[in-house]
Amino acid sequence: MNRTFLIARRELMAYVRTVGFWLSLLSLPLFASLGGVIPMLAMNSEPTRSVAVVEVASGAPLKAGVEARLTARDRERQVDVISALVIPEAGIEASRQVQALGEREGPEVALAEARRIAPTAASGYRPPKADLRLAETPEAVLAAAPGEAREAVVRDLLNAEERTLDAVVLLAREADGPAARVWSAKASDDTVQDAVSAALREITRAERYAALGVGVESVREIDAFRPEVALLSPRSESGGEVSFRDRLPALIGFGFGFLLWALVFTGASILLNSVMEEKSNKILEVLLSSASPGEILTGKVLGVALLTLTVMVVWGGLGGAGLVAAAPDVARDIWSILSRDGLILYFLLYIAGGYLMYAVLFAAVGAFCETPRDAQTLMGPIMMLLVVPILAMQFALRTPDALFVKVLSWIPLFTPFLMSARIPSGGVGPVEIAATTAGMFAMAIFMVWIAGRAFRAGALSDVKLSWKTFGMAVRGGR
Amino acid sequence: MDAALRLDTVNKRYGDFQAVKDLSFVAETGRICGFLGPNGAGKTSTLRMILGLQPATSGRIEVLGADDGRKVRDRIGFLPEERGLYKKMTPVDAIAFFASLKGVPDGEGRKRAREMLEAQGLGAARHKKMKELSKGMAQKVQLIAAVAHRPDFVILDEPFSGLDPMNQQGLEEMIRGLAERGATVLFSTHVMQHAERLCDKVVLLARGRKAFEGTVAEAKATTRQFLELEGDIAAGAVTALPGVSHVETIHVHGQVKVLRATLASGAAGQEALRAAFVQGLDVRRFELKAPTLHDAFIHLTGDDPDAVAPRAEASA
Repeated sequence: MNRTFLIARRELMAYVRTVGFWLSLLSLPLFASLGGVIPMLAMNSEPTRSVAVVEVASGAPLKAGVEARLTARDRERQVDVISALVIPEAGIEASRQVQALGEREGPEVALAEARRIAPTAASGYRPPKADLRLAETPEAVLAAAPGEAREAVVRDLLNAEERTLDAVVLLAREADGPAARVWSAKASDDTVQDAVSAALREITRAERYAALGVGVESVREIDAFRPEVALLSPRSESGGEVSFRDRLPALIGFGFGFLLWALVFTGASILLNSVMEEKSNKILEVLLSSASPGEILTGKVLGVALLTLTVMVVWGGLGGAGLVAAAPDVARDIWSILSRDGLILYFLLYIAGGYLMYAVLFAAVGAFCETPRDAQTLMGPIMMLLVVPILAMQFALRTPDALFVKVLSWIPLFTPFLMSARIPSGGVGPVEIAATTAGMFAMAIFMVWIAGRAFRAGALSDVKLSWKTFGMAVRGGR
Repeated sequence: MDAALRLDTVNKRYGDFQAVKDLSFVAETGRICGFLGPNGAGKTSTLRMILGLQPATSGRIEVLGADDGRKVRDRIGFLPEERGLYKKMTPVDAIAFFASLKGVPDGEGRKRAREMLEAQGLGAARHKKMKELSKGMAQKVQLIAAVAHRPDFVILDEPFSGLDPMNQQGLEEMIRGLAERGATVLFSTHVMQHAERLCDKVVLLARGRKAFEGTVAEAKATTRQFLELEGDIAAGAVTALPGVSHVETIHVHGQVKVLRATLASGAAGQEALRAAFVQGLDVRRFELKAPTLHDAFIHLTGDDPDAVAPRAEASA
């Protein structure tokens, strides 16, 4: 087997055989899955708190209003779950409609709509566990005189070993509006406090509107009103209203640019550490007696590329499979965008160019260093340079044709990230794509040349790394 | 005899520092050649030039018939001065990997690795990770990795450094084994005893220049025998003995001294001793000593091989 491939294989296997590699490989999909499951588990494992509401003082009663709003909380949670449930089968737009319907008409109507548009998904619906349940106020509390005596009774009730209540809400009207004292069995649990606070805010608002002559129904309607503001563009797929699908290319571009950045950064850092380890362990000199510097550099760059590619394929495969299972419409849209106009080909070119430019540079720096501290002199400015495309990509997400983003796209070191972010949104001409890509590969070849000379000199050198020594190495070659 | 290695007026400069100056020597095929000199004498620079890892500033190097070591790198085995192997690899994996870079198929490399480890008493350690091995064991593994592809020419840079006497002896046996197999061995060292025991030929290097090239016996012949005398003796009385050319005081303990009397070329030590006893000198101990390679080195170069010369900084 060719020496380059032997070195690449060793590099790949050195990482693949470690526990850390498998932990890293599996951690992202695991956390991504947990990210979806944990909120649901947390919602269902939360205890249902028994809450008694007591009217303390005279004035317009608050109890009925607060109880109504505490009960409504449970129904709102049901609507949230139903609208999330329909996404895989009916899409994001349909989910928004179910959410709006549920907020207006209640969870029963939302569920009926969900059963109509996403029957399979809706058949799996289970109402989430309520976090609050209204309970009868114990006689002892009602019988006690308002004030300290009543609060003493409440304290004893919540402190009892076999208590039936988790919280008691004492409502009162103060001079500046409704107020409450919430007694909770657990000092750290502020769920009831938050719920009562929200309920009193709503009641106060309704009362103030009423004082101004606006009826309760009108207030409710105003609150439930969601204006339909449509974004229209002649560039949208329908030629009119802009849908999520129309926004998808920009998101894909941004996502890919970020992924490429992470890939380059991770791969190049692995390479830097690997070369540094070989330099500090004095393996590099033995390798140099068996293979040329070019073969070693190429083998290592290739090995780490295979490593990062393996990670990307596994993550991409799992992510794709998850997306197909959870949201087939979105998956279909993403695939149709990726397969349009040779976008995948561009992405592959930018992966190759971007990785090559930075990987060889990091490897060459590593050849001069035995510890990360040795590498700081050169790595600091390189890292700062790598921050620029991350900032520019955020502009590219909204305005891919902004002058600032366009200019940066022509700088070869930023081309792979920014062009990846811009091309999917359209509006980038073939001349600009061809010219920037050619510039990127010219730069990559130049970097390979620089790195090859620096690597050769650095591998056997004992001198401390600095811009001067690195420059001398590039000029001197070997 | 064929030359496996031939250097002709080789020079190496690092900026203003001349590491190697007009160096010429030959290593004959199938022989063990010692490349001797103190630290910083230019040995490592020369070995790197032979391997083609660094270019010579001027001069010509011919290795196994090629004008560049890189052209015949598959036929060369190299053990660098500062050693290291992949810490997480097993000895078998490491040996097979380095052999594969020299063109040995993986299966064959593993087979050879197991056999060679077994022969060196490291059979039980073959599945351990390198980081779990003792320094001596790791050094043996590295030497095996350097020669598992059965090279025609083996270059060992300070192979004995850091080894205990037991492992040094084992390593000497390995080096003899390589030569018996027909390989040419060039090893650098600043410890003359190893060279004295192993080498068919030595090249002495001092401050980048060759000070001597020849057999160990020839090197020793450049310096003379001496008598070591201990007793209450005056140095002047010893100088007057027949055949003694020079006397130096090695040690003084009150009235008792240890004197070293260098004999003139061709002089017999017995004559001088007889004269000392006839003259009634208070000789309590005497020893007629043949010169060592260490003595020869000092005589030839004026340097102590154990001293550290200013080290060449490999420039970028």
